[in-house]
Amino acid sequence: MITEINNSLYDQFIADFEERAARIENESVYSLRKKAMEQFKLLGFPSTKVEDWKYTNVMPFLSADFTFKQPVNTNTTEVGIQQFRIAALECYQIVLLNGEYQPQLSDEIVNKNISVTSLKESYQEETFQKNFGQQLNLNKHHFGALNTAFFKDGLFITTKDNAVAEKPLHIIYLFDSDANLFIQPRHLFVFGKNSNTTLIETYVAANVNSKVFINSVSEITMGENASLHHYNIQTPHDGTVLINHTEVNQKDSSCYNNYCTSFPGADLIRNNLNVALEGENIGSHLYGLYLVADKQLIDNHTLVDHRKPHCQSNELYKGVMKENALGVFNGKVLVRKDAQKTNAFQQNNNLMLSSSAVIESKPQLEIFADDVKCSHGSTVGRFNEDALFYLRSRGISEEQAIALLINAFVFDVTEKIPIPAIQLHINKLIEQSLNELETVS
Amino acid sequence: MGVDIEVLKNVSGEEYKYGFSTDIEMDMAPIGLNEETVRFISQKKNEPEWLLEWRLKGLNQFFQSNKPTWQNFELPDIDFQKIFYYAAPRNKSNLNSLDEVDPELLITFEKLGIPLTEQKLLAGVAVDAVFDSVSVVTTFKEKLNEMGIIFCSFGEAVQEYPELVKKYLGSVVPYTDNFYASLNAAVFSDGSFAYIPKGVRCPMELSTYFRINAENTGQFERTLIIADEGSYVSYLEGCTAPKRDENQLHAAVVELVALDNAEIKYSTVQNWYPGDKDGNGGIYNFVTKRGICKGINSKISWTQVETGSAITWKYPSVILKGDNSTGEFYSVALTRNKQIADTGTKMIHLGKNTRSRIISKGISAGHGNNSYRGLVSVSKGADNSRNFTQCDSLLIGDECGAHTFPYIESKNNTAILEHEATTSKIGEDQIFYLNQRGIDTEQAVALIVNGYAREVLNQLPMEFAVEAQKLLAISLEGSVG
Repeated sequence: MITEINNSLYDQFIADFEERAARIENESVYSLRKKAMEQFKLLGFPSTKVEDWKYTNVMPFLSADFTFKQPVNTNTTEVGIQQFRIAALECYQIVLLNGEYQPQLSDEIVNKNISVTSLKESYQEETFQKNFGQQLNLNKHHFGALNTAFFKDGLFITTKDNAVAEKPLHIIYLFDSDANLFIQPRHLFVFGKNSNTTLIETYVAANVNSKVFINSVSEITMGENASLHHYNIQTPHDGTVLINHTEVNQKDSSCYNNYCTSFPGADLIRNNLNVALEGENIGSHLYGLYLVADKQLIDNHTLVDHRKPHCQSNELYKGVMKENALGVFNGKVLVRKDAQKTNAFQQNNNLMLSSSAVIESKPQLEIFADDVKCSHGSTVGRFNEDALFYLRSRGISEEQAIALLINAFVFDVTEKIPIPAIQLHINKLIEQSLNELETVS
Repeated sequence: MGVDIEVLKNVSGEEYKYGFSTDIEMDMAPIGLNEETVRFISQKKNEPEWLLEWRLKGLNQFFQSNKPTWQNFELPDIDFQKIFYYAAPRNKSNLNSLDEVDPELLITFEKLGIPLTEQKLLAGVAVDAVFDSVSVVTTFKEKLNEMGIIFCSFGEAVQEYPELVKKYLGSVVPYTDNFYASLNAAVFSDGSFAYIPKGVRCPMELSTYFRINAENTGQFERTLIIADEGSYVSYLEGCTAPKRDENQLHAAVVELVALDNAEIKYSTVQNWYPGDKDGNGGIYNFVTKRGICKGINSKISWTQVETGSAITWKYPSVILKGDNSTGEFYSVALTRNKQIADTGTKMIHLGKNTRSRIISKGISAGHGNNSYRGLVSVSKGADNSRNFTQCDSLLIGDECGAHTFPYIESKNNTAILEHEATTSKIGEDQIFYLNQRGIDTEQAVALIVNGYAREVLNQLPMEFAVEAQKLLAISLEGSVG
């Protein structure tokens, strides 16, 4: 599976791992790393022969020369970060520079029920030891294994039972480097019983001229009755590859809402979102929006794993493909034998704006219980000529009419966003990326 | 349904009614697979040199390729060296009329209810019966000949119409296509061949009836149907096998070619022996079926009712090459006991204004696992192509599984593709409604399932539709509530 092209990168990883082995940080973390490394050696980087990577060829992105070392001189300042704030949004700002937590650039959390620390300083915490590495299946995920073997830092966020975050936590990922960077952030989020939290993750376009390869893994555990609104707003710069793997584990009566929005910029965005419904009466809502621009590849893989009865899941992903864009959607709903009375719904709609855009959609259902209601739907097409004509006949210019139709198309997703400031922000981003739209065939 | 489930679980399923075997003297090739076997078959059939070479290429390809691993079930280990690759009823040579056919054989077909004898004119179906690997009798030949329609066994076609066979053999399913297609190319023993000349509308249904009889044999037939410009043909296929404890392999290949304005309708009622309720025995039905709409305005339609086989694994596909061509796929697949089905279709849109329609209805009962796997691919040049896919699954009992793996690939923005799938069980209120009208639960289920599958059954020719409906009801007996 390891081809010529990334042999050098592969060797580089092996060497790096051995160097690390010399300075053992923590017994249990190290043994997990070792296991992951063995697994990665076995798996290698995924080729397109691997079913989950059938349409997404990562090989070309691995051929650049990468460094794993943090650049020493950075000129990121507090003022510089201001531009990445979401307008009119009250929040706790948490800044990560090249994948490492920067307390001096972040807001102080006054709420004593919420703790935000750097992952590498939390190895001794009981919650960390209980939850770390529990969700991720190393045997299946090439990049997950790689991350586990090599992660340096990330965030460790916990909320106590009954904690209510009065403001959203806004995590800003910044990149600042002159050399090509390969970074692997690792996060662990543990939310207590009856807690209520809003988490926003934004990947922003920083002023970098080099290539950045981000291989991020987050593990999220939600206690009973917990509620989480989780936003992913992805606007990285050209030359970025973002592999974002999220594992969510939900306990009884919890409610997880994910809003994943990807915008033009990065060369490749791959989102793996795996939600395990490990309890009864759980609700999971996954909303996705991807605007894919020229020569960009955005790939969304989701897995909703119904393990217990009486749960409900709902998934809606909408995509707009421009120019030579390539969009991939793979949604899997798994209903295990015990998960009777499950209601699962999944929908994927794609709008093709150009004749050279490509979409690969694969909605999947795997059902092992009989008393369930599951359905999925997938459509591909371009906008309705009649609708366009209708608008034109009322004196609306072609560009405006198209913008209107696209807005109507994505509205199903954006209307689901409960915080007006974020909704506004996302609408603005949509408008921006559509303005870049030059010709519509 | 709570109460009924217990009752029904105890009711034993209707026995497989085609499970008898026939004692007939057989001509067999030596056991095992090697060049010798291939040469033996080729020689037995008195084949020309080019065909032998083609077979050997297939054999080579087979030895070089690996077993597929992507399927959604555990692929049983098949020892290809323990199979007889050729089994034919002896004394078959040069039969002129039905009277000369081995009476044992006729009794067999009688039992199966196949209208072999030409007295059954009313049935209006021309039959080519394939017993084990060899076509034994073809009816209505003369009548068809008058219109220029060629309908005969594959072996006969090789002798009499070599140029047609040579031109189209492997043009849709090449010997390199997949593992089992390579195997078939190497050892295929017989099958059916049909050619419909320009502008002819075939006046009757053409039909092949397959039966595996001998022990430890595999059946590897090859069907080739060519519909020349402006012609129409409807083709039926049915299959049965005796009950045996070992698994038997059936790896057939079907190739359809539709030229300009031609239409082919291919219907299958597959009722191979499914194995007993513990999953012992049964047929492995690994078939490659593909049609090409080569000319403009052509149409290929697959209809299948799959109730038999231990494992059904096939994807009847259509390559829509000609502009304005149409592909259709209608399927009902029923799995119960330990049966497995991994079936679906591929619609490859290449030409402009091509249309395809996929209706797949899966029914899982007992410990059955039913998968729909389909590909709809729109290439860059396929402007204004259109696809509609609907795949529904019905689950009966809590031990079975239903899976959907649709692949939707579009490289053209004028294409409109729709896919929808649902999974559910039979509503308790529906059963209740029928119960209170004096219909017992078992009949009610049969009624509902028939209604559920109606869209597909309606596509079948009359005689087959009735048979298929009965088959569904029988197959469901004892397994549902």
